[in-house]
Amino acid sequence: MNEQPRDSFEARAQALFHDSVEGVDYATRARLTQARNAAIEAVSASRRRPWFFRIGVLTPAAGVTAAAILGVFLWLGSPLGQHAVTVADGQSNFEDLELVAAADEGSGDAMDMLQDDIEFYDWADKSANPGPAA
Amino acid sequence: MPPFDTLNQAWMVWDGPAPAPEEAVLEYTRELEKFLAEIERRAFRMAQVALRDPDDALDVVQDAMLKLARKYASRPSAEWRPLFYRILENGIRDLQRRRTVRKRFMTWLPGPKEDPESEAQDPLDNVADAAPAIPEALMQGQAMQQLEVSLRALPARQREAFMLRNFEGLDVAETASAMGCSEGSVKTHYSRAVHTLREQLGEVW
Repeated sequence: MNEQPRDSFEARAQALFHDSVEGVDYATRARLTQARNAAIEAVSASRRRPWFFRIGVLTPAAGVTAAAILGVFLWLGSPLGQHAVTVADGQSNFEDLELVAAADEGSGDAMDMLQDDIEFYDWADKSANPGPAA
Repeated sequence: MPPFDTLNQAWMVWDGPAPAPEEAVLEYTRELEKFLAEIERRAFRMAQVALRDPDDALDVVQDAMLKLARKYASRPSAEWRPLFYRILENGIRDLQRRRTVRKRFMTWLPGPKEDPESEAQDPLDNVADAAPAIPEALMQGQAMQQLEVSLRALPARQREAFMLRNFEGLDVAETASAMGCSEGSVKTHYSRAVHTLREQLGEVW
């Protein structure tokens, strides 16, 4: 590092540059100092952050995990999710089905009863109006 | 063995003082500050030679400092110099590319055209200085201005090689690391830069 120039031309160029560096005005020097302090502060700030924020790979992974958890909660909270739970439960639907089936069975009994009534009405009619004796 | 008053004394006897990570951080932070303080003005002047505008030069140097501090502060201090100049040269190149794009875009828009020469001139340059000028300093200032003009006329890679090798004093390997090229390329760029500059400035100097 800091090799010396090989000839007078290079030495003169280097000397001129260093003179111009010494001639940098105070306003610029002050701004450079501010920039340096900001850079040093950045190192300190990065040290103060929790370790999991300092690991660049984990930060996106944490974001994806948080989004996945939020997605699950939203899914369970949505009407579609609730419907899924109700269908999975299914108890009340089967009860309804049984009631309907029972109603159908009841209508079958009613037909039998109606058939019995017809026979009764026929007997009563015959009893009330006996026909000519054979 | 004598009894220990504190646990720390026991540590001192057993294996010396236990290293504290915070102390190590403070140590390299102090070292980094020292390094930045040492190179900041040279870096600024190099950026100014390349970009002409002092505000742009300050922005680029500040960005380079921040990037070095955030990403590479924990690296060995011997690596800081080439890393810093690599970041700086990348910043200079990015800014020059953005300027080129902006200029191309501006040519399509109606309005007054920018004069590239007037852009470089600072109105304060034309104000007479109350203090009597020192002839030697004046001559040196003029010589440096001529060198800057000639450096800006060089191809970017030659200018980078010349400034890193001659102004900053990096060796060939460090310059190659800063420029992201082989050592052979550095030698070629530097040799061509010196040859061109000598041709242009030899008579004046």
